[in-house]
Amino acid sequence: MKRWSLFFAMAAALGAAEINSETLRNAQQDANNWISTGRTLNGWRHSPLTQINTSNVKRLTPQWVYQTGTLGRFEGTPLVFDNRMYITGPDNHAWALDLLTGRPIWHYYKALPPGVSICCGRVNRGFAALGKKLYKMNLEAKLVALDADTGKMLWETQVDDTKKGISGTVAPIIAKNLVVVGVAGAEFGIRGFIDAYDADTGKRAWRFYTVAGPEDPGSKSWGGDSYRRGGGSIWVAGTYDPESNLVFFGTGNPGPDMNGDPRPGDNLYTCSIVALDADTGKLRWHYQNTPHDVHDWDSISDPVLADVMVNGRKVPAVIQANRNGFFYALERASGKVLVAKAYTKVTWADGIGADGRPILISGQGPSEEGTKACPGIGGGHNWQATTFNPQTGWYYFGTTEGCQIYYNTKMEFREGEWYQASTAQGLPTDPQTGAVVALDPGTGAVKWKFEMLTSPSAGLLSTAGGLVFAGDPQGYIFGLDAKTGKSLWDFFTGGPVSAPPMTYTLNGKQYLTVATGGSIMTFALADEAGRGRGGAGR
Amino acid sequence: MKRVWILGLLAAAAGAAQNARTNPLAQDKNASEGGRTLFRIMCSPCHGIKADGGRGPDLTLGVFRNGTTDGDLYEVISNGVPGTEMPGYGGPRLPEEDVWRLVSYVRSVARRAETNVPGNRQAGEQIFWAKGQCGQCHQVGTRGGKMGPDLTRAGRTRSLAYLRESIVDPSADITPGYATIRVVTRDGKTIAGAQRGLDNFSAQLVDTAGNFYSFRKDAVRSLKRELQSLMPSYKASLSETELTDVVAYVASLQGEEGR
Repeated sequence: MKRWSLFFAMAAALGAAEINSETLRNAQQDANNWISTGRTLNGWRHSPLTQINTSNVKRLTPQWVYQTGTLGRFEGTPLVFDNRMYITGPDNHAWALDLLTGRPIWHYYKALPPGVSICCGRVNRGFAALGKKLYKMNLEAKLVALDADTGKMLWETQVDDTKKGISGTVAPIIAKNLVVVGVAGAEFGIRGFIDAYDADTGKRAWRFYTVAGPEDPGSKSWGGDSYRRGGGSIWVAGTYDPESNLVFFGTGNPGPDMNGDPRPGDNLYTCSIVALDADTGKLRWHYQNTPHDVHDWDSISDPVLADVMVNGRKVPAVIQANRNGFFYALERASGKVLVAKAYTKVTWADGIGADGRPILISGQGPSEEGTKACPGIGGGHNWQATTFNPQTGWYYFGTTEGCQIYYNTKMEFREGEWYQASTAQGLPTDPQTGAVVALDPGTGAVKWKFEMLTSPSAGLLSTAGGLVFAGDPQGYIFGLDAKTGKSLWDFFTGGPVSAPPMTYTLNGKQYLTVATGGSIMTFALADEAGRGRGGAGR
Repeated sequence: MKRVWILGLLAAAAGAAQNARTNPLAQDKNASEGGRTLFRIMCSPCHGIKADGGRGPDLTLGVFRNGTTDGDLYEVISNGVPGTEMPGYGGPRLPEEDVWRLVSYVRSVARRAETNVPGNRQAGEQIFWAKGQCGQCHQVGTRGGKMGPDLTRAGRTRSLAYLRESIVDPSADITPGYATIRVVTRDGKTIAGAQRGLDNFSAQLVDTAGNFYSFRKDAVRSLKRELQSLMPSYKASLSETELTDVVAYVASLQGEEGR
């Protein structure tokens, strides 16, 4: 009996704990691990760790690099628990790595079957975890459950037919015992949806169409049968509020992207934030940021759940920097607009009216010969992960600053084929730039901007060490002072950084990890003597 | 000269033999329209929204420097042209059918117009190397300076209108990597040169004397990119005839010079 106790004690010391609803709910208190894509169910991407802080961040040095040997972009946030790191990559690859050395423990790969239409890179945005299972979407729109210990496939469910143009890139989220996902493919004229699956069996529990059909309240927002190819992709993870039992998602653009003529109306629920009952998938409320979008301004960014101070009153809210150039704080219970304010140059709307609708400025839509409008097709803020820092009370996100020329054209729909109906181009004499932005979510006021030549291509991480970490397409990972935006540390990794940085501890030492190029790179503080790999556990 | 022509013909013949694939969508009436949509997204930034050229060649002329068959066009679109700014779009970026749709579109816009280049090439060459002093900054083959873009193949990759604009208004569209970087060091010294590298934390540049510099932003007083070319405008210094002659010379540069 004593021996068994000792064995269990050792197992606990190694951190062999299972992920369950309670550990997910209390993840903010678990500083050592990172157990869901947004670190916490509310999507804060904020770590309570302080070992790496504003006074010592300059001592960050590489600890290990794992070269995956794959091409393509890494866009997912690694998960960390059980002394291992779990990361998904492009082309249906995934790995478990040893936290101490970065050496691979297992590798999962599924060859992409022919005939899958993929919009914007063969990417994946991460795992979800529950129990000892890991969940990921494969590009061929299969939800896959893997054994976290071995990488062995436990079950897989084809969520829908890829001939329709659907694919899967989103990181799943967990709500109770359900795995909640969505599909990409608006550029191929899909009818998008959000699905929930039983975490044990892979059986579908419910489906919510992000494009309202004839039976739905929003059906009149689509002319004719245009809803059948109405888009509404889900390609960035949502958030979950256990208190209200609601899941929140931002939805993608309507199809075709740049030509609104075939789809008269507001085109609900595209370019919207939706709140769904986690048990049934029923729509509790929606807010459409961009009715009848023609600029490809998905509302796809993280719908972060934070309490914000609005006119001296603390309000549970959903906050989002939208691709259309406006920041929104919505009342979490109702979707009512609390704050809506432009955070970058906007030429298409003169603010958001009292009815919650944008006050449109005419002549800003795409045309055959081209129309200049701001922001550009990628926003504003696009899909990259954002972070809410409870210490400052501010919301941080990356932006692309500037305008583009928008073109459209007529286009015939053919199932499974490209259905964007044109594009946008930059202005050679006025190229777009970028920034990391800190914003007060209670007022929409920009507190500081760290201006950049290019937009920060990676998402953000904030820490209780007073830092905001980001990455750029040239290959830098860098740390800013969360209060001032001053650059405190940067490191050239040699490959574009398209994945959000994340942090955790091992043996009492704080680490910072980011995917860069085809590699996974981990940093920690050099020891007092300046040796890169000093410290505990070495 | 004759030998070069024969060599060129042989190369073209060999290329044609290697790329004898035919377009499986040649009879598909929708293929070129599908290609037009893809073209606007993928190709128009360089070849123009109407395919009439810009930073990339004018495709409406129907004269293609890297092969003339549908198979040649397929290869160029799929794999790019090594040593040029033309990247490959095959493999994961575009499925095979879409590449063929682009071939259909490119064929549909090629009007096989008059391709005679106006102006006197020989006179333009004289101006280029003497009065214009273009060779101080631009290289043709192994001759000339290295500060500005290499023009050895400029005739293959730039339309006539684009070449003319580049001479009279060099800042209208700066070749990527050739903006001006201006640095003021902590001791107050100003160094300006052509961009060789630029990111959010550093810059690399070459000054007019050919010296290479690299600076970190946090180690200098200021570091700015100016979207102003270091090249002067020749609008006032060359007559209209001289300008046309220089364009004719640069348009004749096909990559053989100095080899």
